[in-house]
Amino acid sequence: MTSPASSGSPGGPKSDDHVEQSLYAKAEKIYPREVHGLFARLRTLGVLGLLGLYYILPWMRWDGHQALLFDLPARKFYIFSVTLWPQDFFYLAVMLILAGLLLFFVTALAGRIWCGYACPQTVWTEAFLWIERKVEGDRMKQQKLDALPLNGRKFRIKATKHFLWLAFAAWTGFTFVGYFTPIIELGQRLLSFNLGPWETFWVIFYGFATYGNAGFMREQVCKYMCPYARFQSAMFDSDTLIVSYLPERGEPRGSRKRSADPTALGLGDCIDCTLCVQVCPTGIDIRNGLQYECIACSACIDACDDVMDKMGYEKGLIAYTTENAMEGKKTSIFRPRIIIYAVFLVSIMAAFAYSFSQRIPLGLDVIRDRNTLYRETNEGLIENVYILKILNMDKLQHQYELTVSGIPGLTLHKDMASIVVASGGVQELPVRLRADEAELVARSSDVVFSLVAIDNDKLSVTEDARFLGPQ
Amino acid sequence: MAEQQVPRTQVCIAVLWPSFMVAIVATGLFFSAFDPDDLYPFGEQTEISRTGIYSIGFLVFWLITAVSGIGTLYFAMTNCMRRNPDSRDQ
Repeated sequence: MTSPASSGSPGGPKSDDHVEQSLYAKAEKIYPREVHGLFARLRTLGVLGLLGLYYILPWMRWDGHQALLFDLPARKFYIFSVTLWPQDFFYLAVMLILAGLLLFFVTALAGRIWCGYACPQTVWTEAFLWIERKVEGDRMKQQKLDALPLNGRKFRIKATKHFLWLAFAAWTGFTFVGYFTPIIELGQRLLSFNLGPWETFWVIFYGFATYGNAGFMREQVCKYMCPYARFQSAMFDSDTLIVSYLPERGEPRGSRKRSADPTALGLGDCIDCTLCVQVCPTGIDIRNGLQYECIACSACIDACDDVMDKMGYEKGLIAYTTENAMEGKKTSIFRPRIIIYAVFLVSIMAAFAYSFSQRIPLGLDVIRDRNTLYRETNEGLIENVYILKILNMDKLQHQYELTVSGIPGLTLHKDMASIVVASGGVQELPVRLRADEAELVARSSDVVFSLVAIDNDKLSVTEDARFLGPQ
Repeated sequence: MAEQQVPRTQVCIAVLWPSFMVAIVATGLFFSAFDPDDLYPFGEQTEISRTGIYSIGFLVFWLITAVSGIGTLYFAMTNCMRRNPDSRDQ
């Protein structure tokens, strides 16, 4: 297979040295031409949907709290009706693994559609490009403006653009921080110029990251910074969906009149209008073959289809296809790679769902008192002291019963008559265990604390601890 | 040839960007396991908010991972130069 990672040389036949040099040369600004068509509409839909989600989600409420809030100050993550605690780190880790596997699966099946439609870099770059077009005009006007020496008009236009970009970026940064600290309070503090120093820092940090990445870095993020762009080719095979130019149909390329008969001129269908190059946000020529810079945004498909229509040729000179289809072979969807990814994905998802449904929203930590190993009471019993931390992760308040076992005749003493913990609360509880020295067979014995909710015996946890004695 | 060398921006990206991502992971792991309120850095109780501790923790992780990145880059680049001594003074 042709590996997308092994880049074709953009811009014609050059020696390897030159390619390397051009990679390291100062990047020239790319002015992607605006494009209309089916895939452009799909991308706009993706951009609007995802940006809408990003900016609206933190304002949504659920059960009296922010619907999606990774409340770092309070160390609780609210994901709609689910509340995750630091103890649930495992679930977050599994969720990340699932997201990664899903990306592998989608990549093997449909190529880099993530890059072209859903990646935040693409989404915000599209939004910034839209602002740029509204302020500076189309590609030609932008190029003309940039070629001009700085004058009053140019300064005004550029200042407007950067002001809009910065305002949009600042709002993005504010929203970002709003995912980690309650956004309504954050907004109130912002309006009264009362933001905390670190909140201010992160709003500015994320705002500038957005401004820099979407306004200036753009395709260079994909080329030089994105790890996915480098390793996605590992998931590719000959049946993966790619954006490709069909050289057999297009070549030899050449301009001609609309009325001309290409076969008589000995030409293929490509009229060499270079529109596919002009619309490309990463500045490549798709006609040079599959390249790792290609983010599969399919802007070139839209541009070329439009031209083919105007010329009265069949659409699809540049199209979504697979390597097998291009070679006239059959494309198979259900191939070992896809099936293996799917099996992994489904089984991990099922295990996750099962484990999550069995999650007991109750936590118990036992910490031995560090000051003394043990002490002898007046009655001659051996006493150990522990601090228990009880976390009620349930939505209701519960009263709990605490018992202990492990040594015959072991007794539990605590100062609190009843253990009541509010929903989302943490209760520290000092307890003393006493045992008869005669019952201790070793210097250290294992004991087990059990905690169970009185109103719901499914809410029960056990925690091991050690009981130290003199032997 | 000077232009043949990697431009400074890309050196910065190569160091700062991977270390940034690793620092996020490290911060997440570290503070999942330890509550800032339970930590007594250098034996002192701090007055800094949790958000502040997370942020400082992240920046410290980033610094450490970036320093490691600089080391990797330095050895990789100097090894390259030793193998192709021409690339330095072409």
